Amino acid sequence: MSSKNNVNGQASGFQSMTPIRPGEEHDLRAYLEAMHENGSPLARLPRTHMARFVIVENFHNDPSWGQRKEEHLDLWYLIFTSNLDGDIDSYLDELCEALAPEAREIWGRCVGCPEETKGDALKAYLKHNQIDCGFFYAAYGSSTAAEVEAALAQRDQVIAFATRVQGLSDEELQRSFLAEFGTT
Amino acid sequence: MYARAMGKLPSAGPVTATGTASHNIHGHAIAITVFSTIKWWGKAVLPVLFAVTKRVPKLTETLVQLSFIHFARWSVIKELPYNGEPQTKRKLRYPHMYFESNFNGGWEEYIDAFSHILTSGMAAFWGSSYGFPKALPTAPFKKYIQVNETEASHYYSAYPDATITMIKGALDVDEKLASLKRDAAKLDPAAFGTAYQRFLTEAQRSL
Repeated sequence: MSSKNNVNGQASGFQSMTPIRPGEEHDLRAYLEAMHENGSPLARLPRTHMARFVIVENFHNDPSWGQRKEEHLDLWYLIFTSNLDGDIDSYLDELCEALAPEAREIWGRCVGCPEETKGDALKAYLKHNQIDCGFFYAAYGSSTAAEVEAALAQRDQVIAFATRVQGLSDEELQRSFLAEFGTT
Repeated sequence: MYARAMGKLPSAGPVTATGTASHNIHGHAIAITVFSTIKWWGKAVLPVLFAVTKRVPKLTETLVQLSFIHFARWSVIKELPYNGEPQTKRKLRYPHMYFESNFNGGWEEYIDAFSHILTSGMAAFWGSSYGFPKALPTAPFKKYIQVNETEASHYYSAYPDATITMIKGALDVDEKLASLKRDAAKLDPAAFGTAYQRFLTEAQRSL
């Protein structure tokens, strides 16, 4: 697979999979599950559309499925994935600064994570553990998160405007439109 | 600007009425994360399948038309990077497929739609996975997904209040509104009134 498979339009898909230090699994899970309480730190990364942290305990083995030998993970793993704008490299630069306050509690509980859980050291660690996409789908891959957010806000604005200006004369309508949306 | 997502997760309990675990939800956005173990031949076939799917847009048309998937990815994991003790340095016995989707709607409806509409695509992407029961009938397939699914510990969407239909609509409105914004000051009032009504007619399905 190549890194081209991580791209769709201007959007990219990043994924890392890092082994969790034995004994830290439950604390990490509790920390991640509580992260929304004060607002997700991922909101500090404006190039993020959607992202997740997932803890994988093991592979699923079912004897009835005809798998000759079972396979188990040696440790629990932390998966981080992000659907983001632009290139992964510069996104990781931003992530490793913006998420520095949380990174010690997250990747700092993983095997091999550098002592300094930020900046270039953290970036190198995440890149070392990167898993390339095989196929990455983005429904609106040509639009950035900022463009999506602006378009959504504008759509609300148009709906409110259309409701408000019903019954106005053409002159009043044009004046209101220019006041609301300006000109270019 | 739309406020970036800072809200708390819904307190719907472990599983919602539509079958979605609560940590997989942020507003309208729902996460699904599935691992499956791949048979030996899938390691060779899947990269080719992924490459063809990427290069032939017709193959993803249905996915686009379904209009409830924001982002999705399939990854084949052949080895896990080594990070030192106590991680074991070893090759995986089997390749494993990681699948994630970011969608809106309920888990049950999502799997139903996937099964009924993307039947052949599902068979192609998961056919090399151990235990894949075929996409139809849906009951065995749902069970298969459930046993292979892992709940997210934290899930984030930058625009949790928006469905994909709203997003596509908003982007469409933006495109249509751009020309009216550009011409608004140059038109006389009557011509502007006509242009405005035309905009509303063309954009009404997106509003």
